[in-house]
Amino acid sequence: MNPHPMNAEQRAEAIYKEIGALARFVEHAMKTVAEIGRPVAESSLELPTVTSHLTDLVKMTEEGAMEVMRLTELMQEDRATVTRECRAIAGDLRAIGQGDLAGRVEQVLAILNQDERRLTNIMTALSFQDLAAQRVKKLVAILEDVREKLVKLVVVLGDKPNGNGGRLEGRVGELLKELGQSRDSAMKQRVADEILAKFGFE
Amino acid sequence: MPADPTMKVLVVDDMATMRRIVKNVLKQLGFNRVDEAENGVEALQKLKAEPYGLVVSDWNMPVMTGIDMLRAIRADEKLKSIPVLMVTAEAQQSNLIEAIQAGVSNYIVKPFTAETMQDKLNKIFK
Repeated sequence: MNPHPMNAEQRAEAIYKEIGALARFVEHAMKTVAEIGRPVAESSLELPTVTSHLTDLVKMTEEGAMEVMRLTELMQEDRATVTRECRAIAGDLRAIGQGDLAGRVEQVLAILNQDERRLTNIMTALSFQDLAAQRVKKLVAILEDVREKLVKLVVVLGDKPNGNGGRLEGRVGELLKELGQSRDSAMKQRVADEILAKFGFE
Repeated sequence: MPADPTMKVLVVDDMATMRRIVKNVLKQLGFNRVDEAENGVEALQKLKAEPYGLVVSDWNMPVMTGIDMLRAIRADEKLKSIPVLMVTAEAQQSNLIEAIQAGVSNYIVKPFTAETMQDKLNKIFK
C-alpha cells in the first residue's frame, strides 16, 4: 500500500502536468513535421512543370523518330527502283552474251539486298521511341499520384507557398528554369540566320 | 495455308511511330494493303466495316486495350476467326498467358526484328 496516498487535488495536478507535457510533445512533433514537410510540399508545386517537360520529351523523340523513318522510307523506295533497274540490266547483258558484266551487276544487287535488311533494321530499331514513351508515361502517372498526396500534405500542414510564388530556389529551381527556357524560347536556326543576316553574316 | 500477300492487315497502336514501323516491316514482307487504328474501339469499327486477314495489335492503348479488343474479336461470331498477332512491350509471363487465354494467335515482344515478324507470320499462316 502507498504510505502517502494522493488526495483528489494532487491527482488532478499530476494529470494536468502529464497533459501539459503531452501537449508540448505534440506541438514539437507538429513543428518538426512542418519543417520537414514544407520543402517537400513546396517541391510538389513544381511537379506539373516537371511532368510537362517529360511529355515534351516524348513529343521530341517522336518527331525525331518520324523524321528518321521518313528518310529511311525514301531510301527504301530508291533502293527498290535501283534494284529493279539492275535486274533488268543484268538480264539484258546476259541476253547479249555479256555474262561477266551481268555478274558484276548481280554483285551490286547483292549489296543492295544487304542494304535493304539494314534499312529495315533501322526502322525496327526506332521502336525504342515507343518503349521510352511508354515508360515516361508511367513515370508521369506516378508523379501525378505523388503530387496529389503532397497537396494533401500541404493542406494538413496548413502551409501556403513561400514568398516567391511557390518557385523553387537552388539547383532544382535553376534546372527547371533552364528547361523552361529551352522549351519556350529556344531559337530556331531560321531565326538565328535572320538575326545573323541583319548583322551582315551571309 | 501460307499468308495471302493481298489480304488487308490492320495495325492497331496508339503510337504513330510504332504503327509506321509495323507497317514498314509488313510492306518489306510483301503485305501492301495495311490499314491503321489508334485503339481497340477504332479497330473493331474497321473490322466490322470490311474484311481483314490479320490484326497486328499493341497491348497498352487508351480507350480500349489490345487484350480487351482481342476478347471482343473472339466473342464476335463474324470476327472470331481473324488471326491476331500482339506486338507489345508487356513482357511479363502473366501477360502472355492472359493473351493466350484470350485467344491470341501469336505474340511478339518489343523491340522486335523483321525476322521475328516473318517467323510469327509463318507460324500463324502455316
